[in-house]
Amino acid sequence: MTTLKLTINGKAYGPTEVRDDLSMNDYLREYLGLTGTKFGCGAAQCLSCAVIVDEADGTSRTTPTCVIPAAFFNGKTVRTIEGHAKAGELTELQKAFVTHFSFQCGYCTAGFVNEGQVLLERLAKAPVSRADLDKTIQESLNGHLCRCTGYVKYHEAVRDVILADAKRYLSNPA
Amino acid sequence: MMTKTVRTLSLCLAFAALPAFAAEMAGTLAAPSSFASISDPAARSAAYFTEAAKVMMHPRCVNCHPAGDRPSQGEGAMSRLHQPPVTRGADGFGSVAMRCASCHQKANFDPGHMPGHEHWHLAPLSMAWQGKTASQICAQVKDPARNGNRNLAQIVEHMSKDTLVGWAWAPGVGRQPAPGTQAELGALLEAWVQTGAACPAS
Amino acid sequence: MHITRREFIKTVTASGIVLGVARLSTGAEPTFRARETLPGAVGWNPSAVGKGRIDGLAKVTGAKLYASDFRAADMPGWPEKTSHALLLRTPDATHVYAGLDLGALVGSMRPVAVVTAADVARVNLRLPDFFADAPLFCAVGKTPHYLGQAVALLIFDTFDAYDQARVALREKSPLKFGRETGPVVAKPYGSNRFTRIAGADPNGPDVFSPLLAGWAAPTSYKKAEIPVWAPAMKAGNANAQATYYGERIRAELAAANPDVLVLDRTFTTQSVDPMFLEPEGGIAWYDPKARMLELVVGVQSPAEAAESVAHLLGAAKGGFKPASINTYCAYLGGGFGGRDHTPMPLYIALAAMFYPGHAVRLAHDRFQQFQAGIKRHSFKMRSVVGFDKSTGKIRAMASDQVLDGGGMANFSINVADVAAGATCGIYDVPRIDVTTIALHSRGVTAGSMRGYGTLQTMTALEVLIDEAATALKIDPIELRRRNALKTGGRTNFGNTYVGPVRTPEVLDKLATHPIWRDRAAEKSRAPAGTLIGTGVACVTKDYGTGADCTQTRITIGPDGRISIDSDVVEMGTAVGTALANRAAMSLGAVATEVAVARIDAYDVLGLVKSIDPYIITQQQQDAAARNPRWVPETSSVSSASVGAHIGTHGANEAARIIFRFGLWPAALDLWGIAASDARAKQWQSAKWADGKLTFGSRPPLSVADLAAKAHARKGVTGAVVHGFNRWEWSSATFTVDGEAYSSEIDALAVRHGDGKFVRLTRRNVKFPPATNNRFSTSYTSLCGTVVRVEIDRATGNLRIAKAYTVIECGTPLVPEVVIGQMQGGFAMGVGYTLLENLPLYEDGPGNGKWNLGQYVVARASDVPVGTLETEILPPVTPTDAPKGMAEVNMIPIVPALLSAIYDATGKRFESLPVTTAMLKGAIA
Repeated sequence: MTTLKLTINGKAYGPTEVRDDLSMNDYLREYLGLTGTKFGCGAAQCLSCAVIVDEADGTSRTTPTCVIPAAFFNGKTVRTIEGHAKAGELTELQKAFVTHFSFQCGYCTAGFVNEGQVLLERLAKAPVSRADLDKTIQESLNGHLCRCTGYVKYHEAVRDVILADAKRYLSNPA
Repeated sequence: MMTKTVRTLSLCLAFAALPAFAAEMAGTLAAPSSFASISDPAARSAAYFTEAAKVMMHPRCVNCHPAGDRPSQGEGAMSRLHQPPVTRGADGFGSVAMRCASCHQKANFDPGHMPGHEHWHLAPLSMAWQGKTASQICAQVKDPARNGNRNLAQIVEHMSKDTLVGWAWAPGVGRQPAPGTQAELGALLEAWVQTGAACPAS
Repeated sequence: MHITRREFIKTVTASGIVLGVARLSTGAEPTFRARETLPGAVGWNPSAVGKGRIDGLAKVTGAKLYASDFRAADMPGWPEKTSHALLLRTPDATHVYAGLDLGALVGSMRPVAVVTAADVARVNLRLPDFFADAPLFCAVGKTPHYLGQAVALLIFDTFDAYDQARVALREKSPLKFGRETGPVVAKPYGSNRFTRIAGADPNGPDVFSPLLAGWAAPTSYKKAEIPVWAPAMKAGNANAQATYYGERIRAELAAANPDVLVLDRTFTTQSVDPMFLEPEGGIAWYDPKARMLELVVGVQSPAEAAESVAHLLGAAKGGFKPASINTYCAYLGGGFGGRDHTPMPLYIALAAMFYPGHAVRLAHDRFQQFQAGIKRHSFKMRSVVGFDKSTGKIRAMASDQVLDGGGMANFSINVADVAAGATCGIYDVPRIDVTTIALHSRGVTAGSMRGYGTLQTMTALEVLIDEAATALKIDPIELRRRNALKTGGRTNFGNTYVGPVRTPEVLDKLATHPIWRDRAAEKSRAPAGTLIGTGVACVTKDYGTGADCTQTRITIGPDGRISIDSDVVEMGTAVGTALANRAAMSLGAVATEVAVARIDAYDVLGLVKSIDPYIITQQQQDAAARNPRWVPETSSVSSASVGAHIGTHGANEAARIIFRFGLWPAALDLWGIAASDARAKQWQSAKWADGKLTFGSRPPLSVADLAAKAHARKGVTGAVVHGFNRWEWSSATFTVDGEAYSSEIDALAVRHGDGKFVRLTRRNVKFPPATNNRFSTSYTSLCGTVVRVEIDRATGNLRIAKAYTVIECGTPLVPEVVIGQMQGGFAMGVGYTLLENLPLYEDGPGNGKWNLGQYVVARASDVPVGTLETEILPPVTPTDAPKGMAEVNMIPIVPALLSAIYDATGKRFESLPVTTAMLKGAIA
């Protein structure tokens, strides 16, 4: 058993006694009712279950929750899909996914939102060149499986968010 | 009656739980004393290494000592390139977007069949063992230019004590452990070094 | 339980169980209905201006939408706690099942209930016919019917108990087995023969066809798998005639005719999984005091799910028969056919019934979804096609198709028949003989999956056509042109397609595209170590099932807010947005409340049904139709690409009625045009522009003003409609506000102002003829793809460099989603061709060990994300109806890839998938 305390979407959770063999995915979905984070495979293959972990050094990365125990998130700062929009106002990325019709059934969308958001934040700190942009987006999103869309409109949306604010994200804005 | 026995045996093999099966069939490592009958020290030395190479050529090791930039996973008929497709990245710890540590945590998580260790990463290309013979691996292991600038004593220390190496014997549910134990591997390599660290011919 | 202001809308099933969906009004907790009615009251509604889907906001913010999202605490009126159930399934189908050893479940891991075959028998549960060929649970002492068959349902009081138990049981299987018996042998699921001989005059009648004579079937089977056809007899019954003409066709093909090129080829396809991202599951609660069962499920067949659960429990004893069942149907995390007619709702219901008073969740993990989820049929096809050497025209064709249906019949015979109907593809084949048989096996059940058998038969056909083009030295697109079925031409079942057949336009698009045009130049420019090839294919696939229904309820409030309820299901296709867009064509504004998968909002129509619509005779239908409430079918499934054409038809008709009898008279009032004025009849000339109704020089009127006026003058402000389609729509006449109004619907209720809905009696109903059941399909959409591949010689790695797909689908209701579907279909086709494969038996997913990683689906890196071009041909006329396209869009890429691989390597593959290792071997 582990006494779990962590921050999710800016809110403190715990202390809660959790089994060491409880997955983070089940902690979010069964214990907290935060079902925006999905369960797709349970084998770290699809990343429908991915959330954002904000590290102490200021970097952020996505991590699956299906194959990692909740206990390993003790003390961590986590963002889930429920935490992106503030007071009903969507992020630029979320708006882009909507206006680009990027998703269809929507089950993989939480993972893509988290991953895209981490990419944007990373580029804001370490911009890439326009020539490297497509490859950068591809490397960032390729871990996420989607069965409905063929990925094209997800990539287009992320690209368009970046190009709309090229000064922030690109090292050589036109 | 022979057929009946064979069929019963195959039933057992088919329906036994994997870990038990794996432990039975995982293999053992012979102790250095088993090679005492080889009188020529160089030949005996090479034999120690050949035995030790059963570990190095086992999927638990080779999967992360790939010849390219992508690890493998699984073993036997289920052996495959790592899915999802991951790559070694600049430092062997994954690409910027997909670090090994994103999924592989500090320890195994058995309910998810996810192996883990604090320093999960790929061995450098110079230490690629995939597709190599025991002889080739031996040459690599001895070569300071390719073995992380280690002398023989440091090699033995690394193989017998390093905890990431040690993971191979406690790989978690669903994976067959490397043969023998880490201590037994250490003993073999110690004996190998003591007898001049000769490499097998093949 | 505190339950406030429920309205129950009831249907009574044959077993006397009240079926309905509780319409819960909003309390403190959003109700299921509130969550699933979209967009609802939102700050930003991009769908109102065509800049997003109605479910866009909900999906991008992680709102609770899917069956797998719901727990007891999310359902107002339910118990607070969720208990959890686990299905145990067998990895073995060749030994006697000897029972369970649950010894590992000690202490907190103990289940509160274990449900087995014995319990099913004890309480007298009945399987619906569709699922009756195998029991819910394998009984002790029997060999399982198929790999993955359920043997028991374990129910755990708490999540923790369930979670620990499932891990313990996965590591050490609790199933015990006895002696080896070999697999269960069962009769084939069905077999048919489809033979057509055109007359000498192509415009004259056929000599023989399934449409004229009826479908032929074997008289018996040899060795449980070989159809025995009736002895050939020219003047015999349909079976005998089919044999007679079929054998003549085969004799023609077998004759060594120097003028004819005969290609005799086999093609084998693999089993694959739909791999929708949300595993099947749901939650249910049986309240023993109220005798009410409530379920939350995610299915493509909501009416079937509700009726099946009712049937299961309809004769149950010992307190297991509910008085009422409410089925909440959620948005789906993907479907692709795999959520149509699956037994999962039955098990979800069992979980609740065997732990009464508790809310119980049952869901597959991905291992279990692979183990038990519906698969695509594996096909073995042998095709023999004779081409006239001088003209390239197809003279005759024979095809024999064998499907592995897996453990349960499910839709197998129907898949076989639809596949047979696509055997001629886009071509005019004057003499064609097709036999098909769907077999039982111990594999995982195969059923409906995107393409429904036509993917398999048209892949085999298109690669054969490509080979013929090479052999005949005719350009592949030119060969297709010469053989293309023209508008008004007949399929191999003997019927024509409705509407224009646009093959020439699609072929033109493919022929003139740079990918095709530049293929030789690109190939010659291949860098060292790379093989380059280009391939093309063109197919046509039906939409519709021949017994489709649409049920829709639309209301417009005095403030102009439009609300739509429909029985069509949302699985990603944006059908909710399509409904809103189609209704907006008549009502001027996009609905703000769209509820899909609703099977209960139409009870005012009082519909009744009787005989299976697929086998009803004309006489029976005419007699039944005299009952003004009778329809051939009440509700149907969301599959077969029906969303656009079928699913939104009811919305179209209901919206037109509200416009004609509500908004239009309101407009006349506001414009001061008297009812007697000639212009009062010119509603066709009125047009919506920017949300306002324009009519000549009159001032434009907003939807809100029109709605307010319609309410004030008590005009029609709501309509409930039902329509039935058997390759054409039913139609009837209704008297609305004193006028005779004819429409393609067969039931109608209207409301005036804020009054109640009142059913109107229909007159002159015309249902589509029963003989339409002999059609293969009347509705079809074309899709073509050209693709360029680059294959690395050393590794066999294939990269898709460029691709172009063109489709014609009438009027697209949500064009961005049509494009998205084309992209998604492309990716699924790539996976099917190159990546996906499931062994059929003990090594396959029935053993419970398969997951993603072992099963590989296309990632973004497998798709030419940056260069994939899609094109939708404009509709022929501005008022064309939408046509279904969600399946056809995944088909042509498959044979196009195979032809491109041939072009690059010189090797024609005869099976799928074509893996990197196979390519490497072919090049070596």
